[in-house]
Amino acid sequence: MNALERILSALGDPAPQGSTGRDGIPCLEIEAKDARRTIARLKSACGFDTNTFVTAIDRFPAEPRFELLWQFRSLVHGDRVRVRARLDAGPEGPRAPSIADLFPGAAYSERECFDMFGIVFEGHAGLKRLLMPEEYDHFPLRKDFPHQGIEPDRLYREWDRRRHEKPAGSAT
Amino acid sequence: MGSLKPAGPSPSEGGFFATRADWLVNWGRKNSLWPMPLGLSCCGIELMAMIGPKFDIARFGAEAARFSPRQCDVLIVAGTLTWKMAEACRTIYDQMPDPKWVIAMGVCSSSGGMYDSYAVVQGVDMLMPVDVYVPGCPPRPDAVIDALIKLQKKIARERPVELLLSGDNDDEGAGTRRFSYPPNHAVPTTRSHEVLPPDAGPRG
Repeated sequence: MNALERILSALGDPAPQGSTGRDGIPCLEIEAKDARRTIARLKSACGFDTNTFVTAIDRFPAEPRFELLWQFRSLVHGDRVRVRARLDAGPEGPRAPSIADLFPGAAYSERECFDMFGIVFEGHAGLKRLLMPEEYDHFPLRKDFPHQGIEPDRLYREWDRRRHEKPAGSAT
Repeated sequence: MGSLKPAGPSPSEGGFFATRADWLVNWGRKNSLWPMPLGLSCCGIELMAMIGPKFDIARFGAEAARFSPRQCDVLIVAGTLTWKMAEACRTIYDQMPDPKWVIAMGVCSSSGGMYDSYAVVQGVDMLMPVDVYVPGCPPRPDAVIDALIKLQKKIARERPVELLLSGDNDDEGAGTRRFSYPPNHAVPTTRSHEVLPPDAGPRG
């Protein structure tokens, strides 16, 4: 009984589609709306107690464009599992459920994912940019990201406005 | 005959008092350059070595590294400046009192270096006027000391008192008319009483 069979039997009905990746890590294909339920059961029933990372893949010309990828590690059993879900981009951009309440460490990964791909995690308490300045207007790891994508003039104006807003607000 | 002209500013360019006072002020300024060490990455380690006893920039009067920009004369941007840090760097420059100078230490702060990236400022001269660029990755402390000596020579050519007496200095104090901002870079010249409209074009 390999790791994939153990996970699938522990997940029970309805079991998601599963396969073993080329690196030997079990991989589950799920729907984005089932993500929270599946991940909660991975945590409770299969012993996957650590979230390694949350990241995304941009398959630019293809639709749906974004694919979200979670990886978990079980410190009890010593194995890993990978969970993938395609994200349907609505009119307000790609959205995904947050798992920061199940795995607190995932909050930073989701912030980074939001910063780099612009994926909004619903239920995340403090979803803001992690690496880039907050005035930044692009998502650098998207495939249609312009080279460098930096508009210094816009950043300068944002800084100026912010710097002058603070004393004006505190004076009145 | 040009060769007969005396070295330095001729009497027609400035009065005896002004040129002598300039010399005195410049002597004081260039021999007490207090650096603001903005160590952002590996260049910061070389900067520490430079301030330490082996290379000893106390020989040039620049050993008093202050970590408050209010007490500093020369901002040494040592290392990779990211866009997230850029606002803090510009704020430090704005908080330094005049007269102030900037040394871009290392290729990252000079031109972005190998980080041709969305996250890295492609040279701190996008944010502030730079006096001396130091190549190297990271530059040896000797190279930065050389930059310091070059900066001292540059300061010796300034004429703070003459500008003050001639009255064509701006309201920020004597000796500030030293830079012309690079035309391709939008450097915001912020004043405390001025708020830019949100749709204002590039300044500088």
